[in-house]
This record gives sequence, structure tokens and C-alpha cells, in this order.
Amino acid sequence: MMVSSAADAVYSLFNTFLTIGTLVFVVVMGYMLYHLVKHVRAKEVKGKDVELGELPASEGLPYKLLISIVLSAAVVVTLIFSTFSTLAYLETPPADSLEIRVTAFRWGWEFTYPNGKTVLGEAKVPINRPIKFYVTSRDVFHKFGVLSLGIGIDAIPGKINTYWTVINVPGTYEIRCFELCGPGHGVMTGRIVAVTEQEFKSWYEGGG
Amino acid sequence: MAEHAHHLPASSIRRWLTTTDHKDIGILYLVTSLYFLVVGGILALLFRFQLADPSIKLLNAQQYNQAVTMHGLIMVLFVISPLAFALANYVVPLQIGARDLAFPRLNALSYWLYLFGGILTIISFFQDSAIDAGWTLYAPLTTSKFSPYVGVDTGGLGLALLTASVTVSTVNFVATIFRSRAQGLTIRALPMFTFTVLLTVLMMLYAFPSLLAGIILIASDRLLGTVYLSSPEGGSLLWDHVFWFFGHPEVYIVLFPALGVIAEVIQASTRRHLYGRNAVMIAMTIVAVLSFLVWGHHMFNTGINQDIRRVFTITTIAISIPFDAIILAYIYSLAKGKIRVSTPLLFAVGAIGVFIVGGITGVFLGSNALDYILRGTYFVVAHFHYTMVGGGLLGLIAGLYYWYPKMTGKMFDERLGRIHFVTAMIGFNLLYFPLYIAWQTPRRVPIYQPELTIWHQLATVGGVIFGLSFLIMFWNFFYSLRNGKPAGNNPWEAFTLEWATESPPSPGNFPAIPSFSGGKLTFISTNGAHHHLAEATHYSVYPLAVSLGAFLSLAGLTVHQLLLIPGLIVFAISVVGWARERFIAHEEPFGERWPFEKVDRVKLGWWTFIASEVTLFGILISAYLYVRAASSTWPAPGEMLDVWHGATNTFILLTSSFTVVLALASAKADRRGLAAGYLGATLVLGLAFIFNKYNEWRELFEHGVTFSSSLPASTFFLTTGIHGAHVTAGLLALVYLIYRAAKGYYGKDNWEAIEYFGYYWHFVDIVWVFLFPLFYLI
Repeated sequence: MMVSSAADAVYSLFNTFLTIGTLVFVVVMGYMLYHLVKHVRAKEVKGKDVELGELPASEGLPYKLLISIVLSAAVVVTLIFSTFSTLAYLETPPADSLEIRVTAFRWGWEFTYPNGKTVLGEAKVPINRPIKFYVTSRDVFHKFGVLSLGIGIDAIPGKINTYWTVINVPGTYEIRCFELCGPGHGVMTGRIVAVTEQEFKSWYEGGG
Repeated sequence: MAEHAHHLPASSIRRWLTTTDHKDIGILYLVTSLYFLVVGGILALLFRFQLADPSIKLLNAQQYNQAVTMHGLIMVLFVISPLAFALANYVVPLQIGARDLAFPRLNALSYWLYLFGGILTIISFFQDSAIDAGWTLYAPLTTSKFSPYVGVDTGGLGLALLTASVTVSTVNFVATIFRSRAQGLTIRALPMFTFTVLLTVLMMLYAFPSLLAGIILIASDRLLGTVYLSSPEGGSLLWDHVFWFFGHPEVYIVLFPALGVIAEVIQASTRRHLYGRNAVMIAMTIVAVLSFLVWGHHMFNTGINQDIRRVFTITTIAISIPFDAIILAYIYSLAKGKIRVSTPLLFAVGAIGVFIVGGITGVFLGSNALDYILRGTYFVVAHFHYTMVGGGLLGLIAGLYYWYPKMTGKMFDERLGRIHFVTAMIGFNLLYFPLYIAWQTPRRVPIYQPELTIWHQLATVGGVIFGLSFLIMFWNFFYSLRNGKPAGNNPWEAFTLEWATESPPSPGNFPAIPSFSGGKLTFISTNGAHHHLAEATHYSVYPLAVSLGAFLSLAGLTVHQLLLIPGLIVFAISVVGWARERFIAHEEPFGERWPFEKVDRVKLGWWTFIASEVTLFGILISAYLYVRAASSTWPAPGEMLDVWHGATNTFILLTSSFTVVLALASAKADRRGLAAGYLGATLVLGLAFIFNKYNEWRELFEHGVTFSSSLPASTFFLTTGIHGAHVTAGLLALVYLIYRAAKGYYGKDNWEAIEYFGYYWHFVDIVWVFLFPLFYLI
């Protein structure tokens, strides 16, 4: 199990794509290189050379190609369906989430909790409890990204986008901005600090 | 050999400044795009050095953003596409048996607009700041609030000149490929390169007006104060739709000519026609159409509607099926005959190999779920460099080697060519593959996670090797110009038509008229061909002069105001000079013209141009409807605008369409004076329209309704303002027509100019017929 539910879903989908992609790459490249070598060395080949000015003659159905198309269609359908099932999971937040408003600005992150508590740069969150981020921006287009948690969603002025996850492992996770937003874009970082429910509670209800 | 006598030698500067010969212009495009390749490459090396060690301060953050932005804009818009059009310029007329492009002067105009567009864009570096918001120009970062630099305006105007260049090219290539083919050369039998160029220009026709509309929105917000991109109702999402409706087709626009080159090289190297040729052509056509239905995958993270995102996931992943068909057909073609290895073949195969990597990783980005984490990371950077540099640029480099003997008459040094190939492939993969591994790096940052440093250092080393490898090519091409072995007509023993004439071909291209009417190439009527050749014109100073005028006028707006007036004067004089110049463009009396047998060349050109205008207004009107739908309140009809102004203007404009029809009918009936009279009536009506509009705007301004007062005001002023500019341009043309009509110029033997003007005028009227209800009545 990975550090968060979203990371779990996204990275296992990524691995599906990577496995199928690598397989396709190896087969196609292998086939191409094999035939390249073979046909560079060939002395006798079938058919006669096309002469200057000869137009393409009509040819029969390219069966090899049609079979390949059917195969790639099968791969495509697989990839689309696995995407849809991951999406369905990612886009169905549980009802009892902790709702945190994330406001991006040049150049930092502000977090507002349901009780009005507002912090800058570092958000403390409990583990083992769904957290739903409501992401927006105060100025320009940003992207709220915590790659290690499988989180990524655009922060757009005038619009609120949501993303949810359950974090399984306590720790500090780096937030970065993934959409160019001006000279401070590279240093627009923040942290998500995941702690136990009790620790979170005492922080959340306490003054600090 | 009369045509040689008045043809200027290659050493003549006048030749290169005034040429309208497609081959010369091809060479100009080639040299210029390679120059911009060096500029874009140096910018890339600058930020790659910065990335190799984030602790050094080679570029500050602002400079860094300019470098990545301009690198992207230059490489996509000023290098890859123009390099493709260098080849297309040179090769397409030869492949289809044409003497030149359909409109030789317009072709020169495309080139000069491109060059001056590039110069203007680069000048912005020497002002306060070049464009710094990424090549995707995301809003609202590009608004003057967040990017308050005059250089950004200059760069935007440079891009506007480029879109003008592209539009002119599009018109030219559509008319040429449809109207100037040799007999028997059907669309299905078109050489693969020409076919891909045809699809490319058709995509350009619908994609570039969207970029132009986008530039208009940015410029209008920045210079006039409209609020399209700064308001939350428009803003980021409006820009995303407008930009990516252009942006995604654009990536196929830069790729397709390279796919055509690769097909030609494989065919020549195996001496066989492509395997599954018809299927490949169908697959390419499907990609071209689908390219307009996948833009939403660039917006997966923006929170647009869930179902729409699923549709875009399907279209984006499914577009890989026709791509698979194309690439696999290429690979199967390699196994058809004995392969003869040459530098072009190596680059073609190398391009296929790396494109496969780029294509497979592209499927990842088509998945909405994966895009949540991948968007904005180096995964995207690695992917599109594998496709656009790998498939696109390397494919075109194959074409450069392939057609170098045709262009120069000399063979390049094959050994140096292979050394270039090996170093380029090593450099390329060392540069871009580590970026996949370091994928967690955010795009466009000078500072990143320290644990990824080693991969960025490897990439920088790869970048240096990749960049230096091109010096081998430059040296090879330069050296071989003098010292290369003579190439002969057909060094590759290829079978397409460009190899059936001299290297390089003389003006007029073929010693006789090529024809495929018997299913095989024959040459007919030598004498007639020479007779035609002597008549055709190959030089005009006006394309350069018009472009220079446009350049100076635009530079007058943002670089130095003293340039404005001279620019406008040069522009006006050269436009009139252009119209008055006697220029003979050759067209064979017969040829393969399906499906436009009955539409003459100029008419087809006009229709193509108007199609691009339809798209421009389509996007502007869509932008208006978009922000209106996103707004919670909007003034009721009659509340902000006076319906009577609109109604009067509708009446005036429709009447003026009627008078143009009467002018044409009079000219056809040879009633020359009456034709002039009706044209004059049209001018009066047009002026009345403008005057009425002036009053309407003045009243609005007096009531405090200005460009910047609200979205309803912004959309009204910009959309009807662009329309008004079209009316004004039409009136200027009309003044010229009236001047000539008054001299009795238009009669039953000479009425085409009125007809062509009529198309434009009716189009402008029809646009108003849409604008009136959209803005005044609902």
C-alpha cells in the first residue's frame, strides 16, 4: 500500500500503462530492427523496383496492417477502461471528508480549515481520514501538486476545483506549483504534514 | 534558353530580395529556419546550463522564464513549421509537376512576413522583457497586470505577423495542390510528402485563426483595456479553449510534413511504394480531423465537466490507433524491398524509433487520471520533445539530406552525414530520456528537487552533444556546396516527379510539361512549355516592401513611434504598387483538379482565405458566447446598446451587398460607367456604416461604457470592432476598384476583381447578420 489512496490509484494505473507501453515498444522496435538488419543484408527480394514516374498501383487489403489496427484498438480499449475505473474512484469523495480550502497566490499556499483556522505554507492533516481539498487561486493560474500523494489539480482564479485522498503514512509531503505563474514559480513550495488523529485534533482545536 | 538570360545569378542580392520562384523561396525559408534553430538552441542551452547546477546564477528567474518561453515559441512556430515549409516550397510544385506555386508573389509575401515576424519577436529581448508566460501564454499571467512589459506586446505583434504569413501560405498551398497538379495525378496518387503537406495546410486553415483570435484577445486586453482574460468569467479557461483549439492541431501541423518526408525516404530506400498506402492516407486524414477534437486533454485538471473529460480521454487515446497504423505501415514498408542505407534513411528510421517512445508516452497523457499527476511535469516535456524534436525535427532533417542533392546539384559527404546521425541520436537520447526519469521536476522552474540533479546534468551533457552535432551538418552542407560530387537528376533512384528534372531545376522546373495521364510519367509539348516559360515573371519587390511596411508599422506601436508613419507609408505605397504590377503567374491550361475543376485558382484562393476568416470570427463569437454563459448577469437588449444603431447598420450593410451585386452585373453587361456608379454607391453605404458606428461608440463612451468597463462592453467593442476593421479594409480596396472603374477598366472582359471583392464584402455582411442579433437582440 502506498502513502495515500490517490497515490495508490494513480500509480497503479501508471504501472499498467508503463507495462503495456514497454511491451508495445519492445515488440515494435524489435520487429523494426530485425527487419532493418535483414533487409539491409538481403541480396534477393520479392517484386520489382518501382521506376521513375510510376504511380502507385492499387493493392490488395493490407492484412498485416488491419490485424495490427485491431490489436492496437484492443490495447486502447483496455487503457480507456482502466482509466475510467481509476477516474470513478478518484472523483467520488467520501461524505465524511475533512474539507480544506487551498488558495494559491504568487507565490505560496494558504489553507483554510472548516473552523476558520488559516495557515500559510504548511497544512497539518490527520492520517487515515479522507481529506478533500477545495483548490482555487487569488491571482493567476497555478497547479496544486503533491506528487508523492498522487495529488494534482489546477488552481484557477474564480474557480474551485476539488481533489481528495486518504493519507496512510505520517510524514511531510512537498507541495509544488506545476503551472508557470511568474518569477517565483520555482520556489512556490509548501508542505502537507500528516500526523495522527490525536495530534491533529490537539493542533486543530488548540490556539496554534 | 531565353528564361535563363533574364534569371539573376545566385550571387545576386537583388535575386534573393525580389525572387518569387518557389525554389528560391524554399532556400530562403530553409536558411532562415536554420538560423532560428540556432537561436532557439542557444536559448535551450542557456537554461540547460542553469538546470545543471541550480546554485549558479546564470539566469535570474525572470530571464529564465523568458528563455523557456521564447525557446518554445521560436522552435514551434519559427523553426519546425517553417523548415517543413522550406521543403514544401521547394518540393511540392516539383512533385506535382507545377511550374511554381499558384500565387508566386503571395509565396514571397509569406516568407517575408515570417522573417519580419521573427525579427519583431526577437527584438522584444532587447526591450524590457520578451514574452515570459510560457509558449502556451496562459491567462491571466499574460495580462498587463502580471506581465507589464512592452516587450511582451512587441512579441505578440511578431506572432501576429507570423499568423498572417501562415494564412497566406495556407491559401497558396491549397490552391496549388488542388489546381496545379499534372494530368493524371489524382489526390490518391499524390506523392506522400505532398499529401501530408495538403493535410497540414488544411489543419492550419482551421487552427491558426484560433491563435490569431487568441493574440487579438491578449493584445486587446493589454493595449485597449478589454477584460476578456482578466475577468474570472473569461480568464484562464477561455484562454485554454482558444489556445488549445489551435495548440493541439499545431503539434500535428509540425509533425505531418516530417511523416511525409519519412515515407518518401523509406520508399526511395526500398524502391517500393509504401505498404498499405491507401490505409496510411486514410489514417492521416482521420488524424487531421480528430486533431480538432482532442484539445480538452490539455484541460483535464481545470475542473471542466466530467463527461466532457471522459470524451476527450476517449478521443485522445483513440487517436493513437490511426497513428499506430501509420507507423506500423512504415515499418512494414521497410520489410518490402532491399534497404539501401543512407543518411536520410538513418534519420528517417531514427525519427520513427524515438517517435514511438514519444507516441507511447503521449497515450499516458491522454488518460485523465494519469494527467492529474503528469500535467505540468517533465514527463510532458520529455514526451513532446520525443515527438516534436524526435519525430518532427529529425524527420525533417532526413528530408534536408534527402533533397539536398536536388537543391544544390551536389552530393553531401555521406560519412559526415552518418557521423551526424550517430552523434545526434546519442545527444538526443541523453538529452531527453533522463527527463522521463526526472519527471517529477515541475516545468519551467530554475530550481527543482535536489535528488534529481544528476538526471538534469546528464540532460545538459546530452543537450551540448545534440547541439554540436548540428555543426557537423552545417559544415557538411557548406563544404559540399563546392566540393560535393555532382548529384545528377536522381541520385537515390527514387520514383517521384521531382527526380525527373535537373538538380537544381531551372526556373519553370521542367523542360516540358509532365503528365501522368497514361498512368505513367511522360513529357509533352516541349515548345509550348518554353513559350509559356518566357512569359512568366519571377521577380517582384512588393512582397518584401509590403512586409517591411507592416513590420515598421507594428514596430512603430511598441518599439519606437518614429517608425509608425514611415511604416504606414511604405505599406500603403507597396500595396498599391503590388496591385498595379504586371505579374504573370503561369498556369497550365489543363491538369488534375478534382474537386475544383470549375473553380479558378484565384477564386479558390479567396474561398480558402474566407474560410480562415470564418474560423476567426467563429472563435471570437464563441469567446463572446462563452463569457456570456459564464456570467451571472448580462444587460438586457436595449439596456447598454441602442438597437436602432444596429438595425440601421444592418439595413445599410445589406443594401451595400446588393449594390456590389449590381456592380458586377453591370460590368458583365459591359456598362462600365454604371459599374463604377454602383461601386461608388457601395462606398457611400460603407462609409455610412462606419459613420453610424462612430456615433454609436461616441455615445457609449459618453455614457461611460468603454472597453474596460465590463465584459458586455469588452465583447461588444472587440467583436464589432474587428468587424468594423474588416469593413474598413474592404472600403480601402473599394477606393482602388472605383479608381480603376472610373477609368473604364471593368467590363465584360474584365470583371473578376469585382467578383472577388464581392465575396469578401458579402462575407463581411454575413458576419454582421450574426453579430446584430447576438449583441443587440438577445
